[in-house]
Amino acid sequence: MCTYKLSKSEIVELQNKRLRWLVKYVYERSPFYRRRFIENRIDPDDIRTKEDLKKIPFTTKTDLRDNYPLGLVSADPSQIVRFHASSGTTGNPTVVAYTKQDVENWAELNARCLEIAGVTSNDVVQVAYGYGLFTGGLGLHYGAERLGAKVIPASTGNTKRQLKLMKDLGTTVICCTPSYGLFLAESARDEGLDPKRDLKIRVGVFGAEPWSENTRRRLEEQFVESAHDIYGMSELNGPGVAMECSMKDGLHVWEDHYIVEIIDPNTGEVLEPGEKGEMAVTTIKKEGMPLLRYRTRDITILEDQPCECGLNHARIKRILGRTDDMLKIRGICVFPSQVEEILMKTEGVSPHYQLVVDREGVMDRLMVRVEVSEDFKTDRLTDLVNLQQKLEEELKDTLSIHAVVELVEPKKLPRSEGKAQRIIDMRKI
Amino acid sequence: MIKQLSVFLENRPGRLANLLDILERNNIRVLAMGIAEAGNYGIVRLILDKEGEALEVLRSSNMAVNETNVIIIGLNDLTSAVKILGNASINIDYAYTMDCQKVVLKVSNEMEAMRALSAAGIKVLSVRDEQ
Repeated sequence: MCTYKLSKSEIVELQNKRLRWLVKYVYERSPFYRRRFIENRIDPDDIRTKEDLKKIPFTTKTDLRDNYPLGLVSADPSQIVRFHASSGTTGNPTVVAYTKQDVENWAELNARCLEIAGVTSNDVVQVAYGYGLFTGGLGLHYGAERLGAKVIPASTGNTKRQLKLMKDLGTTVICCTPSYGLFLAESARDEGLDPKRDLKIRVGVFGAEPWSENTRRRLEEQFVESAHDIYGMSELNGPGVAMECSMKDGLHVWEDHYIVEIIDPNTGEVLEPGEKGEMAVTTIKKEGMPLLRYRTRDITILEDQPCECGLNHARIKRILGRTDDMLKIRGICVFPSQVEEILMKTEGVSPHYQLVVDREGVMDRLMVRVEVSEDFKTDRLTDLVNLQQKLEEELKDTLSIHAVVELVEPKKLPRSEGKAQRIIDMRKI
Repeated sequence: MIKQLSVFLENRPGRLANLLDILERNNIRVLAMGIAEAGNYGIVRLILDKEGEALEVLRSSNMAVNETNVIIIGLNDLTSAVKILGNASINIDYAYTMDCQKVVLKVSNEMEAMRALSAAGIKVLSVRDEQ
């Protein structure tokens, strides 16, 4: 499977060709995009190369919601073979639709992801992402199957059974969220297992939430030989949009399927490679529900330099935060990943935390609840007070606002088996 | 050497009760207890009749707990004992009473402290010694 090892010029050529196809395709088939083009006086024939994308307005999550459920579907209804939906915490869920070819492509992209992380047909791949409306489980399932690996469709939850399957079936690849990965390692130790010795997990495919280098270190120390970040979202098929290769220096975006732009989230202006901003993605191979310049709300940096692994697909840095996860506290942007980074490198606390924001009078207050680790070695209160103060100082240095650190007992913060619930915003705005 | 267990607890109603309940359910007796608190958390220091067992029980209940060496002396020796330790440049980090007659001392160097006290004729006690 080396069809994706393309030269830079081959990639650009494919992107431009497929973009021209896409623009014509949605103009002819999607009432939503046809209206958009007409309202903005865009002639589909004027979009020749990806530099012309700037002429097209962004597509947003709100567009998907306003046109719920299927207003952005371009394919003929008879061609649709699958729906997925992402959770609708505010109002309607987001529904996405796939043609047979879309499902095929999705499998191919996930197979590529696994392959560049070092997974082969000899591996036993345990997929502990949710199966169902959520795309995580099925996406990686298809990828592993396409690669010819042995798949364990464990789905989420039932941690004891997950560990038993790992042990009994000799799992060598785990796919789950990074927070669940840490939880699995912790639970394994509670069961008297040394995950690094008693399990033989070579590769971890961790995604669906932002994570840090420190989390990678912990996962590799405690659980898997090699931890890789995978990126995706249901609007863009699901997992398999971008993946870390063995260099672990950014995630390769499958540029023959997706065109990535980094934009200023406030002005919409396109930024240069190396600049931090919101990622907007155009799906140039999707048929069911292709999207033009879809605003992902994920913050990252595009890296266009060649990678040592030999792939020419551009890389994005790990997701640095989300425009909608971002907490605005006293006018300052706070990303949970910044807090996580600090906690991960501090001895005496566990990587589990919770951010609580409330308002005292007119002032926002940030409280960071952190678990004292079980192997915390002190009987002196001053050591705890020092730990708390050190954390507060480091948070202040990084976030530029004062946060109150509350130390809590081990394993007292809620563990999530999917995406961790880490922010509690109690401000009544 | 006498082992004290130190347990990290949140400073909220019910947390201490939970800790003591776990000990009681495992037939572990509390012989002395001291609490140090700072805002919304604190450390409970305990002298127990079965500290090894207690350590395991508390760890398996997901508590942050560890062992510390302490010494015990009679309350009526306290005044002279602290003078001797002071003269020997040994710091008393914290102390609490036990059975109304004894004092538990956490010192900066327990071996030296025991030597200094014994040399001055002050008896270093075990948990079961009657005063």
